[in-house]
Amino acid sequence: MIPPERKPDQVVQLVWPGQRSGLVTLGATGKSGGAGEIFSIDGLPGFVAKVYHATTSPAHLARYRHKIQWMADHKPALPEVPAGCQDIVQLAWPEALILRRSRFVGFAMRKIAFDRTLELDYLLNRRQSAQEGFDADYGKLLTVSFNLASLINSLHEQRIAIVDLKPMNVKVYKAELYVSILDCDGFHIDTEEFRHEAPQVTPEYLAPEFQDRAVTHPEAQDDFALAAIIFRLLNYGIHPFTGVASDHHKYPLELAGRIKQGLYPYGKVAHKSVRQVPASVHEAFPDDLRQLFDRAFSSPGHSRPGAREWVEALSLYASKRSGQISPCEKGHLKFSDRPCPTCMRDALIQGAEVRRRSFVARVQAAPARTLKYVRRTLRQTHTSPFQAALAQAQLFTFRQLAPPPAITTRNAIALEILWISGMLILFWWAR
Amino acid sequence: MSPPAVAILWAALLLVAWRWRPPQAATLSAWVLLIAFGALGATALWFDFRGQPEPAGFDFWKPTVVYWTLAAVMWLVPPLGGGYPAKIILGNYFALSNREWRWINRGFALLCTLLGGVNLIAASQASYKDWEGFKFSCMVFLLTIVLFRLNFVWLPILAEVSIHFYRRATAAYRYLSRLFSS
Repeated sequence: MIPPERKPDQVVQLVWPGQRSGLVTLGATGKSGGAGEIFSIDGLPGFVAKVYHATTSPAHLARYRHKIQWMADHKPALPEVPAGCQDIVQLAWPEALILRRSRFVGFAMRKIAFDRTLELDYLLNRRQSAQEGFDADYGKLLTVSFNLASLINSLHEQRIAIVDLKPMNVKVYKAELYVSILDCDGFHIDTEEFRHEAPQVTPEYLAPEFQDRAVTHPEAQDDFALAAIIFRLLNYGIHPFTGVASDHHKYPLELAGRIKQGLYPYGKVAHKSVRQVPASVHEAFPDDLRQLFDRAFSSPGHSRPGAREWVEALSLYASKRSGQISPCEKGHLKFSDRPCPTCMRDALIQGAEVRRRSFVARVQAAPARTLKYVRRTLRQTHTSPFQAALAQAQLFTFRQLAPPPAITTRNAIALEILWISGMLILFWWAR
Repeated sequence: MSPPAVAILWAALLLVAWRWRPPQAATLSAWVLLIAFGALGATALWFDFRGQPEPAGFDFWKPTVVYWTLAAVMWLVPPLGGGYPAKIILGNYFALSNREWRWINRGFALLCTLLGGVNLIAASQASYKDWEGFKFSCMVFLLTIVLFRLNFVWLPILAEVSIHFYRRATAAYRYLSRLFSS
């Protein structure tokens, strides 16, 4: 029975695999994306519906239907989760078609508990993640990285690629540290019986070989994006292609341009055209991870480490039993036998903060100091505030200088008359 | 203002400068700059105030002549032990070490050498409009020096002169007050 306050448009038919179907009512959630809008489903609290925008062309809808039908019938096998975490949704995978008056309009998928998760984007900023109730440390970040790599690896094994892999499309379970990937209807599928392209990309996570061209090897693209996300997770959100130009090289403003030119400054061999940003802690990463990053960002697509290699490398650090992660003197988790990245970062930030405070204090004191020196100038103990400031600054770095000979105001005016005359002559000649 | 009036005013100001000149002996670099600018100023007066026609192409050479004259003074005087001319141009009030003045002097000398050379190239190869543009953009160099001097030298002088006149005015007011009250 349909509640009377529901509009007829909100009543839709859900078609599950095996042609089992039923009428349900959708409820607005206010959440909307580029392709469609998200609705709750009355009677199915564990599911949500994605209904494509009304402006979607019939041709596109037909293609979506074909793809969603295949996806609903072929749910991929995912990495196993412990018995206590069975309600974790690792993929927002389409599970049923939604028809309105027998016309395909969208699909139903498992609902990701937003109160238990946060966007992976938040993990790139420690303060933001703390505000969201997630106290990020290297143990948790490595576990999240491992779980993400495992999920991508299992998809790749089933010839499914994400292509538009980016932190905004990934949710992280705060307590369990499992990840959930959104926008699955945009995945690239290339099985023997079904093939569907994924046209959507994000330039900041797009491999150099696919910048300005179609993604012909979607797994290689995922491997690049995965490496970029892991690098950012472990390096306080610093993108692997964020750097400082070190020579007269024309340094692109956009990350995409830097990726295209391979301007990766965090390699074990320094890049000659670009320097790392000072806040980076990549020196604290173990050699095997650094080699993987170097291969991911400095090598061509075919030698880039795949998700499986990341799983193997990260499994050592994600496991407490391996002993590869240990606490530092201050109790932060760090890679064993490596300097503590958290302490490194704190020192860098603290140094920058001390310099910033000192600079602000000097700027704030400048007017009073200038007035003081002007007063001294008038008493002829100094001739200018600049001179006094310079003399003061040189106390620690240069030898003491003999004070300039005292001159009276009349002498100074006489010199300035000559100086101005000289400037007028210079102007006449140079004009 | 007519040219004779300008010349008379200028001469008066130079006379004041002579009367109020500092007691310290001028350095060699100061003398060389005075002579160089005296010659350049005299030439300017000759052409401007006497109405003498300038030689053909002289306009194009003018900036080069002045920049290279300055460059020559700045390159040649320090090895002769005459101090650093840049110190006089920028203001010898600033307490910089000799090493710093040496590098500032070299920088100025290099800049003047380049500007003189580029002017010749621009005058011979660029369009008249572009050459004019280049010439006036070089004025930024002069403007920077003027602003620097204005900020750090003229401001204290102005403050002292203001205080001097304020004290004089106060004294005059007290004197007049006493005069009228008695």
